[in-house]
Amino acid sequence: MVETFQQTFGAPLWLAVVLASGLKVTLILVGGSLGMMFLTWYERRAIAYMQDRRGPNRVGPQGSLQPIAEAIKTMTKEDTTPLEADRVVHFLAPVVMLAATVLTFAIIPWGNLFPSDLSVGVLFFVAIGGLHTLGMLMAGWGSNNKFALLGGMRGVAQMVSYEIPQVMAVIPIVLMTGTMSMQRIVESQSGFGGLGWNVFTPVGFFAFALFFVASLAEGERTPFDIPEADSEIVAGYMTEYTGMKFAVFYLANYMTNLAICFITASIFLGGGNGPGVNELGGFLGGFLSLIYFFIKALFLFFIMVLIRATVPRLRVDQLMGFAWKFLLPLVLVNILSSALWVAIIRWDQQAQIFTQWFGAPGTADAPNFVRLGVAVAVTIMINLGALVMVMGLNNRASQARMHTTDEELALGL
Amino acid sequence: MTLANRQGTGAVVPVERNDQRFRAGQGTAAGLSIVFRKFRKALFGKPNSDRSDTEGQFNVQYPEERLSLPEAYRNMPILLFDDATGHELCTSCFQCERVCPPQVIHITQAKDPATGKPVPSAAEFIIEYDTCMSCGYCAEVCPFDAIKMDHDYELSTSNHPELDVNYNRLLRPVSYYETIAPTLWNDVRESAMKKLQNNIKRRPGAIGVDHGQKVGAKAAPAAVARPADPAGAGASAVVPAAKRAPVAAIGKTMSEEKLAKLQSIRADNQAKRGGAGAPVDSAHAVEAAVGVQPDTAQVAAPDAATPGSVAPGATGPVAAVGTSMSEEKRAKLEAIRAAKRAQGGE
Amino acid sequence: MLKTEELRINIGPQHPSTHGVFRMLVTVDGETLVDLKPVFGYLHRNHEQLGEVNSYLQNMPFTDRLDYFNSMINNHAYARSVEMLAGIEVPERAQYIRVIMDELSRILNHATALGFMLGDMGAWQTALLWGLREREKILDLFEYVSGARMMCNYARFGGVARDIDDYFITETRKLMDGLPHYFDDFEGLLTNSEIMLARARNIGVLPKELALSYSVTGPVLRASGVPYDIRRAEPYAVYDRFDFDIPVGTVGDVYDRFLVRIAEMRQAYRILEQAFQQLPEAGGGHINPKVKQQSLKPPIGEAYARVESPKGELGFYLVSDGTGNAYRYKVRAPSFINLTALADMCKGYKLADAMVILGSIDIVMGEVDR
Repeated sequence: MVETFQQTFGAPLWLAVVLASGLKVTLILVGGSLGMMFLTWYERRAIAYMQDRRGPNRVGPQGSLQPIAEAIKTMTKEDTTPLEADRVVHFLAPVVMLAATVLTFAIIPWGNLFPSDLSVGVLFFVAIGGLHTLGMLMAGWGSNNKFALLGGMRGVAQMVSYEIPQVMAVIPIVLMTGTMSMQRIVESQSGFGGLGWNVFTPVGFFAFALFFVASLAEGERTPFDIPEADSEIVAGYMTEYTGMKFAVFYLANYMTNLAICFITASIFLGGGNGPGVNELGGFLGGFLSLIYFFIKALFLFFIMVLIRATVPRLRVDQLMGFAWKFLLPLVLVNILSSALWVAIIRWDQQAQIFTQWFGAPGTADAPNFVRLGVAVAVTIMINLGALVMVMGLNNRASQARMHTTDEELALGL
Repeated sequence: MTLANRQGTGAVVPVERNDQRFRAGQGTAAGLSIVFRKFRKALFGKPNSDRSDTEGQFNVQYPEERLSLPEAYRNMPILLFDDATGHELCTSCFQCERVCPPQVIHITQAKDPATGKPVPSAAEFIIEYDTCMSCGYCAEVCPFDAIKMDHDYELSTSNHPELDVNYNRLLRPVSYYETIAPTLWNDVRESAMKKLQNNIKRRPGAIGVDHGQKVGAKAAPAAVARPADPAGAGASAVVPAAKRAPVAAIGKTMSEEKLAKLQSIRADNQAKRGGAGAPVDSAHAVEAAVGVQPDTAQVAAPDAATPGSVAPGATGPVAAVGTSMSEEKRAKLEAIRAAKRAQGGE
Repeated sequence: MLKTEELRINIGPQHPSTHGVFRMLVTVDGETLVDLKPVFGYLHRNHEQLGEVNSYLQNMPFTDRLDYFNSMINNHAYARSVEMLAGIEVPERAQYIRVIMDELSRILNHATALGFMLGDMGAWQTALLWGLREREKILDLFEYVSGARMMCNYARFGGVARDIDDYFITETRKLMDGLPHYFDDFEGLLTNSEIMLARARNIGVLPKELALSYSVTGPVLRASGVPYDIRRAEPYAVYDRFDFDIPVGTVGDVYDRFLVRIAEMRQAYRILEQAFQQLPEAGGGHINPKVKQQSLKPPIGEAYARVESPKGELGFYLVSDGTGNAYRYKVRAPSFINLTALADMCKGYKLADAMVILGSIDIVMGEVDR
């Protein structure tokens, strides 16, 4: 894009860079906001059908302009700050939240279009996602409200806990593709006629499931919507926010979800790859890849909605237990099996024994199906074994009564 | 058969807690599949109509679509008058006032101006709609079937005092009640009419026909003319009839019903938009029949044109009976104001 | 050990999940609940004093406003109390009609109560809206027969206000065709869900002895393992003619209360089926014509009649001094008495559990505060 500005308009390099970046940022911001608006409508309609209702269908065709009506409403609402609140922190919290969210959009590959190709894209996503925590804590602390404080604390505990399984769930993919760049990861999934997605390998599938579950917690989706559990702590850290600031929190929240869907679709579901993209090529191929990409992301979001419509939320201690006792062991085992996968598929000189048993490693044109089969069998076995074991352990623990008695409380145990 | 004839049986059954040893998400998956089935059925299924359906979309799109109300539906009490003679059925026996639990009914009995003796008719009848709890006792105890429960539930207003409803605005023709509750009225019609005839004999002059607007006893012709007048009576009967289909069936509206309702809503809207149209007609008709001053007749027009107000037939003639000077002045003032309001509105 | 500080939180009276204007003064240590003090009275409407000022009939519509989910059952209980006081016979058909209405309202109450409980748990209202769907259908029927959806005001002394007709019966049959599907859907949605189990099992345990000492009644008591149901213990109306089971729990936790309510809906369905089979012909009359409804003056004496409302034992105590209005009028509201056990049920659990436990008691503030 920089070249386009330089060549077509004859702009100097610095101007071209500024213009190109500005255009990209604008596109991302507008796209993200529109995407959030679409998501709120989409979620409400889908959840309504699950509940035998119709959902918003008044404003615009099929209610599609409902989010705009609500945006206008929130903008015209009075913006209040509690008297005792820390005004600066209170004001900055939504800003920090939104900024952190928007930054994650920098590395999202829109089909075959990349705003920015960082060599550490995956790491960037996770690191920036951590900034959310700061916004939550600021909102919870700055509001000077007990519910907000509880919500903020819950949020921090949750985010910090779930970032670990989230990061570790991506490691198998990094091992398999050998890169952290989102662009490279997406490109690596274009084999098998556009269907060589990571999710179709056992390791990738487990990683996908674990990453998605951890991301639900990162995006504060049910069953992990504890920081804003409306039936317990009113609205969590958002309790004292009104008007546009509240809307900004919501915007950040839904944009995070959108980003999570996009990232998951890119890393595990092949991004814009699909049958026909490579064959068409050029502009049409790009367009098709964009469509594939959106379909995948919306499918993921539908699963989020389905889960939201069905299950209750976990309790705080159960949430922590789930992250540390369930997700983390499985993620670690998955890293091990992905290492084995890479070894079985690729090692040639490093381990002569594999070559003796299974033949030479395959290439992209002629894959070695023996090696592939063995790798699939081994990784499935390891992962399933670990799953059964961890579940068994957790089941046994949950059978035991979890009730603290009065005496224990009195003793401060 | 006495109560102790049959002995019911049954056991004490501990509920099954399903404490299976191993849980691997199968329970949650089952729930997800049920919700997904619901989603599929609601998305692709037809909107649901039958009471036995448990899948589909159950919304009633309120302003366009309405559930038909059962005959027994009770919202707020109204008073009836006879279409043919214009006589009100109420005899001010005070039964309803006495039974009313929140005590919102206030009746003043009419007196014969000549003798000063009480007459079986109400001079003023006020119900505080805002405090009424819609229990329906007044309609239940009324020995003359004069007070009935209305089906109009769209009563919201920004004018609170308006909810102290006076006699004038409480009255509806019997034909209106017949449209909303045909079988219920059928059951009591004969006795009610018989009692009414008896009471009419005991009402001297025009008492009991001028809707509580005790401005003078000379208004009899107006009242008699009103029901005969096609525009007034027609409008009074037709509008509510079309508005609320008098169908006994409860449940979702059927397609024919929907059609009828749609038409009625359109007619309503037209009437509102047209503003002057129908009511002016009725006012002219009243004028022609009664031969009163045009300006007093005009009072009827805007009054009837206000949306949600009582049927034109009920109000029109009322305005047409102003005789005493002060009353007339007041009426004129009101007419001017109403005209202004109508202009502003349009 | 780390020194922690206790935090006092005031939950309510304006809070999304306190089921009305109910306030909980909660002391938490981190997320663990150390103390809970229920505060109520925000919805006090002087109901009992009104009942002493009004005549017996005039008080009937006020009983609708107690537990506004089950006005049919409130009416039934109050009518029964007055009938006991004045010695009024009730025709058999009226008894059956009352039973039909009671069981329909038991289904609708449990459907919504469980929905709200799951809503408190964080399940995004799906179960609640399915419950409300069935409730709407039942309310349509109530509206058809009594004229109002919620404030039915249907019972009269010695019978019911209006007879039911063939249309009502066929429509109820249709409704009953759909009900088992609803029960199955509802049960399949979350009963075995792992998250539900984690949130509900062994939470808010109310031991049998404690429940009895608090004189808790209804599903809460039965979930604690006491098979006490007034329909069986002291059969009123025609409940001694039906076959139905009394589901009881074994642990007394939130999960047991959930399961007991689902089972009770199924039993209510069974009773409905039998009631329609046994319903006498219309000839019997729906009301005792000898009773003077408006000017009822029961002889001097007192009466306490109780029914099994979906929330527990609903009793009306009346003392007559021979005049047209009661000398003393007292309501034994099940929600109110069950609520007293809340503090003991909540202590030691997490803050989030307190909401679920409150939801599992199934309170209605109209009844608690009266």
